Amino acid sequence: MSLDLIKDILIATVPLLVIFPSLFAFTTWLERKTLARIQNRIGPNKVGIPCTRISLFGLGQPAADGIKMLFKEDIVPNGADRLFHLLAPILALIPAMLVLCFLPLEFPWSKLMSAKSGVQAFLLDGAVIFFFAITGLNTLAIFMAGWASRNKYSLLGGMRAIAQMVSYEIPLVLSAVVVVMSVGSLNAADIAKAQEGWNWFVLTPWGLVAFIIFFIAALAETNRSPFDLPEAESELIAGYFTEYSGFKFALFFLGEYISMFAISGLAVVLFLGGGAGPGVAAFPWIAVVWFLAKIFGLILVMIWLRGTLPRLRVDQLMAFAWKFLLPLSILNILVAGFARFIPQDSLFPKVVVWLVSFGVLYAAAWGLNKLNRADVKPREYKYAE
Amino acid sequence: MTQEITFWVLAVIAVCGALLAVWRRNLIHGVFALMIFFAALAGLFLLLLAEFIAAVQILVYIGAVGVLLIFAIMLTERVTGDDGRRVTARGWLWGLAAAVAMFVFLLLPAIQKADLSQTTQPIKPSVEALGHQLMNPYVVTLEVLALLLTAALIGAVAVAQGAQEKEDEADDS
Repeated sequence: MSLDLIKDILIATVPLLVIFPSLFAFTTWLERKTLARIQNRIGPNKVGIPCTRISLFGLGQPAADGIKMLFKEDIVPNGADRLFHLLAPILALIPAMLVLCFLPLEFPWSKLMSAKSGVQAFLLDGAVIFFFAITGLNTLAIFMAGWASRNKYSLLGGMRAIAQMVSYEIPLVLSAVVVVMSVGSLNAADIAKAQEGWNWFVLTPWGLVAFIIFFIAALAETNRSPFDLPEAESELIAGYFTEYSGFKFALFFLGEYISMFAISGLAVVLFLGGGAGPGVAAFPWIAVVWFLAKIFGLILVMIWLRGTLPRLRVDQLMAFAWKFLLPLSILNILVAGFARFIPQDSLFPKVVVWLVSFGVLYAAAWGLNKLNRADVKPREYKYAE
Repeated sequence: MTQEITFWVLAVIAVCGALLAVWRRNLIHGVFALMIFFAALAGLFLLLLAEFIAAVQILVYIGAVGVLLIFAIMLTERVTGDDGRRVTARGWLWGLAAAVAMFVFLLLPAIQKADLSQTTQPIKPSVEALGHQLMNPYVVTLEVLALLLTAALIGAVAVAQGAQEKEDEADDS
């Protein structure tokens, strides 16, 4: 094994291991602060630089939380499967960190330090497929945690997590198929490159529909509200991590946020043009800034939704995935295929193709909504007449 | 050198995972050991530069088959994992004979025939080549498979619906 190889590996992976966990710390602060503002509170505002009176809007809170988590007692229930109880939080973090490697992030220093141009941890042809394959493993860790805790609430949370994953992975992948089909490549860097010059897929009708489906399914895959049924605290205490405390709990927390970053990163690559943005042509390193800024935009939307929407019921969750998202995403693939391969000449100018596809998709969404609502009867009040 | 080390590490993990999957009495442990085996196999495919097959190995075998096994176990009473019951294996001699026969008559000729001395060049964009193969010579096979899977899906829904209707009738009476 040559020294260069080790150097390249370190250059490719260390930034991911440093940047994303520190962004995680910042995001926990951001989430608490934003949720607090939505609920007309102030949020964390005391902790700043230690031994001074500088509070910096409470930016020291994540560090304080981290230290608190480290010093907490680690409790393992008596009947628990000790090995799996230990392994589950680690297994929850590994896939989340692994998929970050597939994002086409080109850090400015990697070009200076390595002989290879633009070192990326994994440069694979099938990066998108790998991404979906490995994100799915996250759920197994959740099931493992729920099962190993030997607690009925934990087990219910784990079972819910698996049912949710199986349902929402299908619309997630099918909505990405639209982009993969239009570009003709599964390579993340190629997909980002194909959208240069404001040819973002989110700005096309089929791309917009695919993006919305992708985002909803991504919320469900990362167990974010309103799809956080595996950890529904009003029903299941804390779901799969009821029996976790101290640093194991912190690892679950970290894993959840890292997978939020990862799936937002994939959404940025697929629909929002990757690192494209003003100023990239002049200063290539701005691409990383744009990429992270777009990820943060999506994360802010996720936080906003968490503060706004109530949690779904299990049957609503399943019905939404199978009866609304799945048919719509299949139709979307069909529409995108027509739009891609129809000869765009004077007979079918781009505007007509776009208008027709938008109309078809809108009508389909409207019709599906109507069909799903057909069996919902008006509420009958038994006792409150 | 690096490749050889990686191969042996993955091979040991795969064999250990497979053995654990067979030996563990605890069903959930067995399923997770099987998943370790699948993951190691995906790593071996990756080592052969067959990245698409590696991805599909993870997606289908861990993401679908493994999850299906977990689902099946969760629907039984053995979800807790304690298992005092022992299945007395009768006829293990026949099983051993079948395994040996499988090795001698199927695997050994295949291994002997395979040309192991040459390292083949990686197929450049392997996903693209696979796509062309699927869409040109094997398109009929692909369509038939799709039809079969759709039929299975509709069949499953029909079976589930039939059971539900019976339940409803039972509730009414």
